Amino acid sequence: MPEPLLSVENLRVAFETRAGVVRAVDGLTFSVGEKEVVGIVGESGSGKSVSMYSLLGLLREPNVVIEGSVKFQGREILGLGDDQMQSIRGKDIAMIFQDPMTALTPVYSVGWQIEEQIRAHGTESKHQARARAIELLAEVGIPDPARRVEQFPHEFSGGMRQRVVIAMALSCNPKLLIADEPTTALDVTTQAQILELMGKLQETYGSSIVLITHDMGVISEMADRIVVMYAGRPAEIGSRVDVIRTPQHPYTWGLMGAVPRLESKRSRLVTIPGNAVSPLDVPEGCAFAPRCEHRMDICSTRPSLRGSDHQAACWLDSAQKVSFRNRGHSA
Amino acid sequence: MSDIILSATNIVKSYSVKSKKIGKREQVQAVSGVSIDVHRGETLGIVGESGCGKSTLARCLVQLLAATSGSVSFNGTIITGLSRKKLRKHRREMQLIFQDPYASLNPRKRVGDIVAEPLRIHGYGNNEKINARVRELFALVGLDVNGLQRYPHEFSGGQRQRIGIARALALNPQLIVADEPVSALDVSIQAQVLNLLKDLQEKLKLTYIFISHDLGVVRHVSTRVGVMYLGELVELGDADSLYDQPLHPYTEALLSVAPELDDGTQSTRNRIVLSGDVPDPSQKPTGCAFHPRCPYATEKCASDKPAFVAVSPSRSVACHYPRT
Repeated sequence: MPEPLLSVENLRVAFETRAGVVRAVDGLTFSVGEKEVVGIVGESGSGKSVSMYSLLGLLREPNVVIEGSVKFQGREILGLGDDQMQSIRGKDIAMIFQDPMTALTPVYSVGWQIEEQIRAHGTESKHQARARAIELLAEVGIPDPARRVEQFPHEFSGGMRQRVVIAMALSCNPKLLIADEPTTALDVTTQAQILELMGKLQETYGSSIVLITHDMGVISEMADRIVVMYAGRPAEIGSRVDVIRTPQHPYTWGLMGAVPRLESKRSRLVTIPGNAVSPLDVPEGCAFAPRCEHRMDICSTRPSLRGSDHQAACWLDSAQKVSFRNRGHSA
Repeated sequence: MSDIILSATNIVKSYSVKSKKIGKREQVQAVSGVSIDVHRGETLGIVGESGCGKSTLARCLVQLLAATSGSVSFNGTIITGLSRKKLRKHRREMQLIFQDPYASLNPRKRVGDIVAEPLRIHGYGNNEKINARVRELFALVGLDVNGLQRYPHEFSGGQRQRIGIARALALNPQLIVADEPVSALDVSIQAQVLNLLKDLQEKLKLTYIFISHDLGVVRHVSTRVGVMYLGELVELGDADSLYDQPLHPYTEALLSVAPELDDGTQSTRNRIVLSGDVPDPSQKPTGCAFHPRCPYATEKCASDKPAFVAVSPSRSVACHYPRT
């Protein structure tokens, strides 16, 4: 098996706060292959964004403790110094943020911002960088790029701004693109445009993508593999077909049942009782146990991810999973 | 009592904004000429993208905003242009639930007092009676009565939305306008709140106007659905038939791109990805407002504005060439 582009091994991120230790990410393990789209899905506070920030070295709080291993093309990048990280960040690994208005600075033209990144990582002249910026804007579907390149972020609509951010991310032909809720701030029709664009660019550039979202629908349309996170821990990892068709973890069942569907009308939505656990007070055993209707005695011991291709951190055996899942679906 | 609880005719709401020309002002229509009836006991869903005027319309319907023109009648009485005093007795029958459960509750008040406020304002009774009613409301929306003395920040988003719902129900209204009530919540919490709203509707015989940008949520809760684009109602119909067979090209496109759970096996979905953005309402296109982005537009669409007409007893659409 070829070496994966990115492999994350037992990543743990903890913040020491006055109220106690917050384990934002606790034992995340997954890998991203060449040209693969991996989706990380979870609700607010599940640790999906923090895990990505930590592996890019973007968490700078003095009270954060990051442990584990993150290998990019076989090289350990966790704990690299600023200079070394700088040469990877933006060049080999680029990031798209949720809110395009905060990802762009309002005081420079969008062209300047794209050129800055190109020149920071390459040897292009100012002139070449400008030409490349216009080319990139055209590629992400911005009409009249030669004129738009001079304009400032406030002169663009939300969808257009996100296109600019994508153009920036692509400027150095990254091998890995991390997209953190790239369409959450956008309307449905704009979201469709951006997702279509990302799919198209992924084909032309051949980058791998880590897509972070809370939207099961978006993830199921984009991702090759899906990682479901709960309370900082991976609950389930598997291929799209496996996770969507035969989900293994009760939390995934709840997540999928809670989404109102377009095609069929059900009288009631499946709900997950209670609220998400407080990160200060994650249970000893399975983090989901207090909200799980299939809770057993053994759940007070923390389950590890079990299975080979399709893994789930749950103590239920496969026969139980099948019967509970079918019951949940018909309800 | 008639079947129609609220009826709006030709509602227009325009705002005066600074024009690009220095010293000039221009009129921007947030809602332009919407007529709609709300039937008793139904849930009327209103969908559309940001800036389409769905919230403005809802606020005009319940007189939270005064419409520029047009009239609204509630239970047969015209309520547009009534004095504040005369409006008050109608207001208790129409309540709102807001989107952001963090912004819609006063952080300095105890939640018990927040829910009691409408009761006090409308003279529900003495303190004892009010307290009993607040407790009843807390139980009704599934909150622990021990939390009455707490402040909003001590509650999670879903619980805060329940507090907002309790406040809206305090005066036993007939009509509830819910403006994006679940958009700020995580899916698992969203499902709890949607189920609660449904239970309350059955129990209390409520009528809902439910505003959301989320097509799945609207389908789930609504009996009828109205689709808005640039301040206009472009399609209205029974939820089931509208979702199964959209008539307006905008509805068709919206439904085709809404993200759906997909295991990669059904590739039959025909996505219609619209080009361009929603135009600036101050520069509304001529003719049909949707024509610059419409894949089926003709010259007629650029010059003639399509009328909003009924194509069957339960369906209406504003399009020269409705889809079939």
